[in-house]
Amino acid sequence: MQKTLYLFASGRLRRKDNTICVESDEGTKYFPVVSLRDIFVFGEVDLNKKLLEFMEENEIILHFFGYYGNYVGSFYPREHYNSGYVILRQAEHYLDPARRLELARKFVDGALANILQVLRYYQNRGKELAPYVESITRLAEESLPACGSVEELMAVEGNARGYYYESFNTILEGLPFTITGRSKRPPADPLNALISFGNSLVYAKVLTEIYKTHLDPRIGYLHATNFRRFTLNLDVAEIFKPILADRVLFNLVGKKMVGLEDFERRGGAYLLKERGRRLYVQELEEKLQTTFHHRRLRRNVSYQTLLRLELYKVEKHLMGEQPYEPFVSRW
Amino acid sequence: MAGRPVHVPPVVGSLVNAYVICRRKAWLMYRQISPDEDNVFLHMGRLIQGQSYGRERKEVRLEHLSLDLIRRDDENLIVAEVKKSSRARAAARMQLAFYLYELREMGIEAKGELLFPEERRRERMVLDESLAQQVEHLKESVLMLVLQEQAPPPERTSFCNKCAYTEFCWA
Ligand code: SF4
Repeated sequence: MQKTLYLFASGRLRRKDNTICVESDEGTKYFPVVSLRDIFVFGEVDLNKKLLEFMEENEIILHFFGYYGNYVGSFYPREHYNSGYVILRQAEHYLDPARRLELARKFVDGALANILQVLRYYQNRGKELAPYVESITRLAEESLPACGSVEELMAVEGNARGYYYESFNTILEGLPFTITGRSKRPPADPLNALISFGNSLVYAKVLTEIYKTHLDPRIGYLHATNFRRFTLNLDVAEIFKPILADRVLFNLVGKKMVGLEDFERRGGAYLLKERGRRLYVQELEEKLQTTFHHRRLRRNVSYQTLLRLELYKVEKHLMGEQPYEPFVSRW
Repeated sequence: MAGRPVHVPPVVGSLVNAYVICRRKAWLMYRQISPDEDNVFLHMGRLIQGQSYGRERKEVRLEHLSLDLIRRDDENLIVAEVKKSSRARAAARMQLAFYLYELREMGIEAKGELLFPEERRRERMVLDESLAQQVEHLKESVLMLVLQEQAPPPERTSFCNKCAYTEFCWA
């Protein structure tokens, strides 16, 4: 199983024989390249072209994050799985408005279904979430099927997320965290900082998995393609954000592993400090390595693998093999 | 639109091999929908091919053919195909027969040998008329298959578990 290397400290990143060498105040560490899948860079690091060439050879992606833990960009090495056939199919589904809408709707569908699963989980634990569940269910069952354009889908999703984030105040009742609304750049409170941080990690994780398929990450369906940015990972991440990022958030805050002291205030913005970030990625990795039985594959798979399987499902939809149905968590 | 490749690449040995194991696998391979390289069995296959028979190993490329091994004994040219196990023997046999057939088309007479390094076994093969006919027939079937718009749906067989496409097929 290849791992993700998270770099928090600042320093230098370079190639040393067949390893990646990280030099920082914490000392020098070596990581064999064969065991790496991707690298998440949070600190200030120096690197050179030789390293990038080495990354390209070994098909390792580098994801860069900014000061607030926001996603900055990725070094996405030359594609190694190329299939003209799949890319044509991807473009074909983008260019045909009906097909594009069909796929985009599925992503929102999956996102709302998983949001509802998260809410039901906390409902079963005695949280008063009925009004939120009802509102979101109505959006999923009535508004969503009525949408005739991607813009309308985005609006419905936005409304649903509005209810959803408001419900965080109920889920986290009694804890010193409240959210007044979603604010991204910059995050206006600690919860927003956590949400943003988690979401950017999930975007990057999905991007890494896309690299391992034949899909082109620049062609998305819900998130408009402009060929300069990665968008397909945003689409697929919609489905996984509630069950990966938000669950990690509730765990960290609910179990008081992360408190207000883990945030730093800069002007009007909040950011998660290093300790909090380390805890966050640790929880997320644990979640991603959790396995469960996959019926069709007839073996146990991890959430990490599940991300890839989801992309294969999209690929098969594009190939006209099997209509895409998003993964919906059952617990 | 995208279903039919404009330029039709020739049938190659690995495609013949795939076809005998699973038609879907052949269709996917033909579209460069290559399997996931994280797959351990794929890694193992490559390692074994790379390591065994190190001394006499010579991968030879002849037009569209890529032969694992070619050597000459007293009077014959011998083409060999290296396989991980005899599990997929039928497929390996047809792949080798295909090479012998294609070589004959180029005017090169050769004999075949199937090598199973893990089992320390060799199997001789001669392209007789009946085998040649089988190859011809197979080539046609492969071409018909890969030109189909749709991939054949996955079918669960004993090969699926160790197939590099398994995650793709059963996602
Ligand atoms: S997993 Fe099974 S159905 Fe799919 S290509 Fe492999 S052998 Fe064929």
